[in-house]
Amino acid sequence: MDDDEAIARSLEGDLAAYEVLVARYSALAHRTAFMLGAGDEAEDVVQEAFVKAFRHLSGFRADAPFRPWLLRIVANETHNLTRSRGRRSSLELRLAGNADTRVPDDPEGAAVATDRRSRLLAAVRGLPERERQAVVCRYFLQLSEAETAQVLGWPVGTVKSSTHRGLARLRGEVGDELA
Amino acid sequence: MNSHEPFEEPVDEPLDGTSDGPLDGPFDELEAELTALGNLLDVPGPPPPSDMAAAVRARLEQVTPPHDARPTTRDTHVPGTSAPDTSAPDAEAPRTSAPGTSAPGTSAPGTSAPDAEAPGVEAPGGSGAGGPDPAHGPITGPVRPHTRRDSRAPGRRDGGRRSPARRGRRARWAIVAAVVVAVITVTAATPQGRAAVTQILRFAGIEIEIGETTPPPVTTTATLPGEHQVPRTDVPGQARFQVRTPAALGDPQRVTVADDGRMVSMFWPGGLRLDQFDGTVSPFFFKKLGPPAPEYTRVNGREAWWIPGEHPLGYILRQDGTQVPLRQAAATLIWQQDSLNFRLEGAKSKAEAVRIASSLG
Repeated sequence: MDDDEAIARSLEGDLAAYEVLVARYSALAHRTAFMLGAGDEAEDVVQEAFVKAFRHLSGFRADAPFRPWLLRIVANETHNLTRSRGRRSSLELRLAGNADTRVPDDPEGAAVATDRRSRLLAAVRGLPERERQAVVCRYFLQLSEAETAQVLGWPVGTVKSSTHRGLARLRGEVGDELA
Repeated sequence: MNSHEPFEEPVDEPLDGTSDGPLDGPFDELEAELTALGNLLDVPGPPPPSDMAAAVRARLEQVTPPHDARPTTRDTHVPGTSAPDTSAPDAEAPRTSAPGTSAPGTSAPGTSAPDAEAPGVEAPGGSGAGGPDPAHGPITGPVRPHTRRDSRAPGRRDGGRRSPARRGRRARWAIVAAVVVAVITVTAATPQGRAAVTQILRFAGIEIEIGETTPPPVTTTATLPGEHQVPRTDVPGQARFQVRTPAALGDPQRVTVADDGRMVSMFWPGGLRLDQFDGTVSPFFFKKLGPPAPEYTRVNGREAWWIPGEHPLGYILRQDGTQVPLRQAAATLIWQQDSLNFRLEGAKSKAEAVRIASSLG
């Protein structure tokens, strides 16, 4: 069952079809919520988003891709969550434990690479909110500019400029490649 | 992924300073680095997709028949009116062309459900006579597998606490979902359910009319059309489908075949009866229900309904849809499996019924 069919059937009340959609996108939705700052409440956010998406499914344009539409709802839910916390979203991004890909012959080089990654990540965390959101969507979530625009609810131009500023700021903080 | 999004051209916000257009040139390497970094980030494992799907579905189904469905599914103008404080899910307005519109008009719009659905009402038991066992009431909070709960980061300041605002939001969504779902589940119940939204729950070849008052009991007892007892060895020759037996019960005391081989009934001591029949297109049985309303459950992971009380049961003539009363049936579990419909009558509890149903060979 492809997305279009699953959506059409969901609209007709077929919850099994909607389950297919949820299962298909839950990992991506979870990653998105987490990356955008939902932290360990990502799971709640995602569940909420899927319930909401079902409720609003009638407003979904049949010829549009489902993915960014759904992620927009996930992003909104995440935003609501962080706003209700009354503070900045918790960007608890960490490097995975196995992130330092060991190069046995070059422990020093590996250490340098790990160090740079850590600094880059810290710099991303420290970006102003909009720039950070743009960078997270574009690179960590690997969304296109158009998708990022839809997900964040910004014009594409804003995505471009925020990304650009973010990149410039990051380079200012960590310098160029392995500098 | 296609990226032909609505926002193609407009650049509303000029690039500042270094506005030399696209980002290719200068940031290539940094972009590649960031992408690689994204892949190395420690994102907690998402819940298994099937768990999330089940949890969402349970949320969407949470309001099914108990309390809400009665008033809600009764009236064809439901969604907007039964819970005025929620935005009406207009798109879900029921289609009224359903066969069920001929159902007895016992609806009483004024008595609809907002009270029972009020935010924060966790246990629906109090909203009237004969609500379901509170332990099995509709789920009003988020649903998540318990195991996932434990994965919360131990040191977090706010632990599992949610702000009141968030809880409020949830409650509101529970209501919205409730209103939508009361209608949805009716249609979602059968593969053909999309054909018609009615005030009637149709599922597994059974049409369930849910009223607000308990229907008068059927005092007579009739048999199914053409029902006759058959030696077990002859059943395969007479039934139109492969007959299954629940392992949990062992061999039945007797077996009957009815309706020209489309219905097979098995009987065990203690009033246990399993009907299995093919034909998912049009309902064969009808049940008339007042409170308590049916409870959603699962059999081998698939949708099932537990009808907790005794209730009038009859069948529907294939020729002209006439309803023929059969008898007062005991509590019944109904479900579908491999395009066959099943109803298990007479189990002592829902759990027991589900256990038996799950053992179907």
